[in-house]
Formats: sequence, C-alpha cells, structure tokens
Amino acid sequence: MSAVEQLARYPVAAVEFANIILTQGDATIGATPKDVVWTHRKTTLYRYRSDHRRHALPVLLVFALINRPDIFDLRPGHSYVEYLLDEGFDVFLVDWGVPGDEDADMGLDSFVCDELAWAIRETLRAAEQDELSLVGWCIGGTLVAMHAATAERSPARNLVLLTTPVDTSGSLYGKWVGRESFDVDLVAEVLPSIPGAGIDWANKMMKPVTNWWTTYRQLWDRVLAGDGRREAYQAMARWVADNPPFPGRAYREWITWMYKENRLVSGRLRLRGRRVDLRRIDQNLLVVTAGADHIAPRPGTMPLLDLVASEDVTHLDRPGGHIGLMAGSKARNEIWPEIAEWLAERSDK
Amino acid sequence: MEAKQDKQDSPTPAEEARRLYEEAEARTARAMEGVVGRDAFGELLARVTENVLAVVKMGNDAADLVVRNLRIAGRRDITGLARQLARTEDKLELVLQEVERLRDAVEQPSVNGAKPPARGTDDGRRTTARPRRRAEPGS
Repeated sequence: MSAVEQLARYPVAAVEFANIILTQGDATIGATPKDVVWTHRKTTLYRYRSDHRRHALPVLLVFALINRPDIFDLRPGHSYVEYLLDEGFDVFLVDWGVPGDEDADMGLDSFVCDELAWAIRETLRAAEQDELSLVGWCIGGTLVAMHAATAERSPARNLVLLTTPVDTSGSLYGKWVGRESFDVDLVAEVLPSIPGAGIDWANKMMKPVTNWWTTYRQLWDRVLAGDGRREAYQAMARWVADNPPFPGRAYREWITWMYKENRLVSGRLRLRGRRVDLRRIDQNLLVVTAGADHIAPRPGTMPLLDLVASEDVTHLDRPGGHIGLMAGSKARNEIWPEIAEWLAERSDK
Repeated sequence: MEAKQDKQDSPTPAEEARRLYEEAEARTARAMEGVVGRDAFGELLARVTENVLAVVKMGNDAADLVVRNLRIAGRRDITGLARQLARTEDKLELVLQEVERLRDAVEQPSVNGAKPPARGTDDGRRTTARPRRRAEPGS
C-alpha cells in the first residue's frame, strides 16, 4: 500500500471507528429464543427453547449481581447458551433483573435463600426432574456455593463455579473496600441501590490504562487494518456498559462479609441463622479459574478446593481474564467443550 | 548480499515507532496498576467516596424537602409504594408455593390411605412435579 493510500485510510477508518463506538447500543445480545418460566420481584427464570434435549439434568445458569446475565448468551454464533443447547442440555437462566430503590431491603439471604432456591424449585418443576446442575459465574458462583453450603438437601448434583471469589484476602478490591475507612454503611444508607456505573468504574479502575485506553487503541488498529470485528466488539461493549444497580443491603453485606471480614472462607458467614459451611458442599464440583483474572484472582478461589467435602472435584486453570475466559474468542474451542464434557458425564439418570 | 539481508531484517521506522509506542503503553499500564494498588490510593478512594456521598445526601435531602413542601410525591414516596408492592408479591409467592405443595399432595394417590408427604420446600428441594404454568412464548 502506498503512503498516499495509507493516508487516505485514516478518514475512512475514523468514520468506521466512530460508527462502531456510537452504534454499540444496537448490538444484538441475548438473542437465543427463550420462555419465561417464573418471575418474582425483579427476578426472572428463563428456559431456552430446544428440540433435541439429550441429557436428563437441566442446567441452571446463575450470573453475578453486577452486569447482566446476557454474557452467557452474548451473540449469535458465540453464545455459551447456544453451545449447551447444541450439546443437548436443557438450559435455564436466572436473571436478577434491574433492582430499584424499592429492592434496597434485599440482602444476600434474599438472593440465596429465596430467589435462587425458588428458581431451582421452578427449574425442577419445569424440567420435571429431581436434580439439576448449577453453573455460577463470578458472584453468581459464590451465591451457588452459598446455596449448596446452606440448603438442607440441595437438589444440585453438579456445581460449576467459574472465576468465583471465595477468599478475598490480598485482593485489590479488598484493599480498596475492605479498609476501615471505606464506610460501606454510609454508601448503603445514601444510595438504596448502588449505581451500576459506580461499580463498573471501580472494576475498570483496577486496570485503568487497559480498560480506558488500550481497548480503544486496539479497536482503532483493527479498524485501520480493515478488520474491525464489529459484531464481536459491539456485543461485548454493550454488555460491559449495561450495569444494573446493586441492592443496598446486599452490597453492604457483600462488602462487609466478603471483603472486610472475609467470613465465607473462615466459616463465619450466616444466612437466616444458618451457617454457610463450605464443608457441607458434597456435589460433583468443577472449579474454573483464569490465570489473568484481576477481579476474582485464582488464589482467592483455590481455598474452596480444600474446604469442600465433594469426592469428585475437578479444577481447570486456563489462561484468560475474568470475563474473557468464558466469553473471549477462544472460549468456544477451548473452555466450553471441557465444561460441557464434564457436565455431560454427570448429567444422565 | 549480507548487507541486503540485514536491511530486510531491520524494522522500518514505522515499525520501530510502533514498537516503542506499545512498549510505552505497556509500561504506563503497569505503572498505573502499581499506583491503584497502593494503600494510599485505597485511602484516597475511601475519602473521595465519603465526600461524594455526603454531597449526594445533602442534595437528596434538599430536593426531598422541596418536593414534600410542594405536596407532590417524591422519590421516597414512590419507593415506599413500590416496596409495599414488593412485600405483597413476596407473600403471594409464598402462598402460591403452599398452594402448589397442597395440590401436588392431593394429586399424588395415597397408598393405604396414608397421607402423602408434602413435596418441595422453600430451600429448593423438590420432587418431580408439574410446572406452575405453561411457558410464555417470546420473551
């Protein structure tokens, strides 16, 4: 390419770059057809349509209280839900919705003992099964672990925990919000629902240059080279920018119990009077950690492997980030098949 | 010949500039991660959060005072109403679960006249049962 041609590419690339950024809100995400099975408050349980369910046990996907669960079904052709359906699973997803100020009274117990427990109940009713597999990601994984460690007899046969924070000691987030001077009670008092944008800002602040500069620089480079990968970028950017609020009480409990007092790993966490004892987890367990995860770093998940009573424990540690591991371009050929295979071996009657 | 080979292997000025830029960016990223990882940054963040919240609280209180004195419903009133609705929904959900439990118990034929066991609990335990309702298309 001559220097003149190269120079002429810049205005074209600039228009294309601006267009990708400005129209990212129109990206298609969470498009796999699904039906509403059950709703309560802001929580909705979905069942994905499929005509070739092969495995008896339904799979219930549980995402974090920050960001939306659409990451499980990011875009057509690159969707974990789509992949599981193709593999013959009966897939359900619990969506926590967008909490408002009126949900400020919802604590971690509401999510673990009510919303999740009831979503499990409705999943089993809809699938007409006695057992299921739970797949939790990030805080969703912690909620799943809390459920399995609290419920008298959980119907979960298999637990898959993806980049799940369990022990927060030494984490960067713990350094910020775990300190005494961070007044989480004041935060929850002033903001009945913590704005998602604030939490997103904090998450991005952990790697400021990467999140606020390198991402855009790399997009510019790709556009200039004529390979903008528009669909992939826009779907992820739209998902990243969609930050629902965090209910005030749940936020206060999450920060206090997980980061200030690190109760879960030390067995001092109680929900509705019941001790959350990770040693009670006896399900088949698959723990997935990401080597470059800065939000739930691997050392914060590893203690779980020593605590649980499960006889069937598998740990997969793969290169990738907190989200990139499961939603990145390599996920479809690398981590998804491994998880599906693990589930398939344990999902029949 | 050798000089020609060297010329082919050596990066162009544009490639060299790019390499230097990427190196600088990576160094800046590492340096910034070092900065945000310091205790002092955590302390600063805590103080700034406290200040911002104090200002927000004052603003909210002032706005509430104005709205209330104008005798119109403010955010707090609407939140109160929405919370009442949410609590009603909580109770309705529990009633529905109880109804379903009773329906399942009635529908399950008893053996030797023995009372059938209750099915399902609120902690997620469940035996096979009918779905509460048919799935709604297109959500």
